[in-house]
Amino acid sequence: MHALAYRAVLSGILGLSLIASACGSSGGGSPSGSAGNKGTVTVAGFNFSESSILVSIYGGALKGDGYTVNYKLNLGNREVVEPALEKGDIDLYPGYAATELEFLNKGAGQATGDSKATTNKLNELLKPKSLIALDPSSAADTNAFAMTKEGAAKFGNPTKLSDLAKYDGKLTLGGPAECPKRPFCQPGLEKTYGFKFKAFKALDFDGPLLKAALTKGDVDLGEIGTTDATVLDKGFVVLQDDKKLQAADNVVPVGRTKVLDSGTTKLLNQVSAKLTTEDIAAMNKKADVDKADPDQVAKDWLKSHGFKPR
Amino acid sequence: MSFLGEVVSWLADPAHWSGPGGIPTRLEEHVVMSLAALLTAALIALPLGLTLGHYGRGGALAINVSNVGRAVPSFAILVFALQLVGVGATPAFLALVALAIPPMVTNSYVGMRDIDPELRDAGRGLGMRERRILLRLELPNAMPVVMAGVRTAGVQVVATATLAALVAWGGLGRFIVDGLSQRDFVQVFAGAVLVALLSALAEVLLALLQRFLTPRGLRTVRAVERNRARAAQVPLSEPAT
Amino acid sequence: MLLAVPDPWIRWDYVGRHVPDIWADLVEHVELTVIAVLAGLLIAIPVGLLAWRYRSTRNGILAFTGGLYTIPSLALFALLVPFTGLTILTSEIGLVAYTLLILVRNIVVGLDGVPADVRDAANGMGYRPFRRLYRVELPLALPVILAGVRIATVTTIGLVTITALLGQGGLGKLILEGLIRDFRTPLVIGIVLSVALAVMADLGLGLAQRLATPWSRE
Repeated sequence: MHALAYRAVLSGILGLSLIASACGSSGGGSPSGSAGNKGTVTVAGFNFSESSILVSIYGGALKGDGYTVNYKLNLGNREVVEPALEKGDIDLYPGYAATELEFLNKGAGQATGDSKATTNKLNELLKPKSLIALDPSSAADTNAFAMTKEGAAKFGNPTKLSDLAKYDGKLTLGGPAECPKRPFCQPGLEKTYGFKFKAFKALDFDGPLLKAALTKGDVDLGEIGTTDATVLDKGFVVLQDDKKLQAADNVVPVGRTKVLDSGTTKLLNQVSAKLTTEDIAAMNKKADVDKADPDQVAKDWLKSHGFKPR
Repeated sequence: MSFLGEVVSWLADPAHWSGPGGIPTRLEEHVVMSLAALLTAALIALPLGLTLGHYGRGGALAINVSNVGRAVPSFAILVFALQLVGVGATPAFLALVALAIPPMVTNSYVGMRDIDPELRDAGRGLGMRERRILLRLELPNAMPVVMAGVRTAGVQVVATATLAALVAWGGLGRFIVDGLSQRDFVQVFAGAVLVALLSALAEVLLALLQRFLTPRGLRTVRAVERNRARAAQVPLSEPAT
Repeated sequence: MLLAVPDPWIRWDYVGRHVPDIWADLVEHVELTVIAVLAGLLIAIPVGLLAWRYRSTRNGILAFTGGLYTIPSLALFALLVPFTGLTILTSEIGLVAYTLLILVRNIVVGLDGVPADVRDAANGMGYRPFRRLYRVELPLALPVILAGVRIATVTTIGLVTITALLGQGGLGKLILEGLIRDFRTPLVIGIVLSVALAVMADLGLGLAQRLATPWSRE
């Protein structure tokens, strides 16, 4: 009897391995929707919630148009997402024009406040990689820097970033891990406003870790986004970028030219044209504060603006 | 320069040895946190496991709760602790203590149960009281398996403390997490080397501690092999996460 | 002026809306685990047999697999990324590496545990080494080997969550979402399901262990 059981266990293991190999590889995040006859597009987003909303907007529009969309949410920061696009692991992601440009030109400082000019310069760099940035939206999410009210009181109640110049070597900055390498973050701040930070703490981009650390006092100044919906609730004071360090960080879809034919390009440009900064801020509030699903929030936006998410 | 060459230069770079983000600071954070968590967990887990093992009661419950505790992924515990107490060192500490307790409870219980019951009878026959039996008779005999649990927990704490960098803590994990974010794989590798060295050191120190605590008579080759076999049966906890 | 009500631990409306997504994550988690453990066995069996047969290799092999075990998992995955990308292969290489110590060790210890007189009796009955291995030694070593498979499986289930940081992750995706969005519901679901999965795997394999070896007490 035991020989039978012994063989049963071995065959069980064999059977399981066959099933496992038959199941094959699993794709990205949420299951894609109904049959798309136009092909498959993989849309990826950065690891902060606003990006998930934008991914769902562009992805939802494509799905409504008949594409099969694979989502890769929270893929990582730009250091992860952009190479993935170049490699072809993903097909599209919602970028921010000025930061994309400065990422690719290694901080050469070509980005300006003009989103069209910035995007054109960006496309010069993308073309040899068989990539393209579509029309920039008027909607933008730029870096901003905030303190708590208590923190501000400690540092002379500043209203603009140049008020901080006299605190050279005294402030701790909080932001995502790549901030010390980003021209619109730590290095830019220090160069443009003429002071150095005492220390930098790696947290996340405008996310729960950053806000908690700021509230707790672990950091004095934190990098947030201008579309952040929780600033008032959290009692943050956003300091004005009076020396205009930030540039045109308008939302711009970046994708592979092979996937972006004239039909998709036209559709996505229509979406970008209707998207506004206020829209993004409102959607952020629904997703971050009310904990609504980013894809539902996106679907509602698409419906109310005449697109067909199915 | 080859990749490994770059790692060596990174480790040799004096800039990486100073300041709040430097190797000594991170190392100190990591060691202090690991020691604190391991000691706290031991203070909870060992008396619990040893007592239950001595009386032979509640073992199934303890082991099952331990198994469930062991099954919670470390990443999840850290994020959960973050939700409970916010950012800082506290969530890391709580999560590490929670992770260190199961292997020590399980191993202490099993170690005590595994003791030849004749030894216990002999002790009672000699008129020893329960506590004396536990401390002077059973504990030394259970020591190898108990210490295997402490060693497992110790190495796991050192390794999991690297993950705590994901929830805004410091430690050596910072080099790995930040390096991954910045695509600076030299930094990642250097950080991994440092953590692996620290884990190995922890393992060696705990092994020495075990040697010190095991009475000479139980340090025979046969006993060592027997304990290795026994350790193969007792559930391990997660590896270096 | 914080008016935020603390996020409830479970929002059931979220659960209701996301059952297909949660199910997909669970299936992905199981797949990643099964592939890792089976691949691990495929490697560990010959390596374990080697380490058992040729004693001189034993310490080296155990030290190597043990060394893999001490590398922090996040670092191991991170270091594979430049070579194998953000793919399932990266995750699986890492996951398999971590199963090797447990599986190899338990195969060696299990085969070691076969009493010498049983081996002698088998030889006396005319069994040649390969047949003796298949018919006598492996069955007797099975309890310890299966114990190793149990431990490796539960360990792998925990490690799969970390692969969420590489774009895979199964239930780890829910935990990551909980972290990024400061959202308790997916976090709780992710934890409860991973624990449930691990406990079920442990019990299931324990049952298989008992069924396959009715002569042993464990």
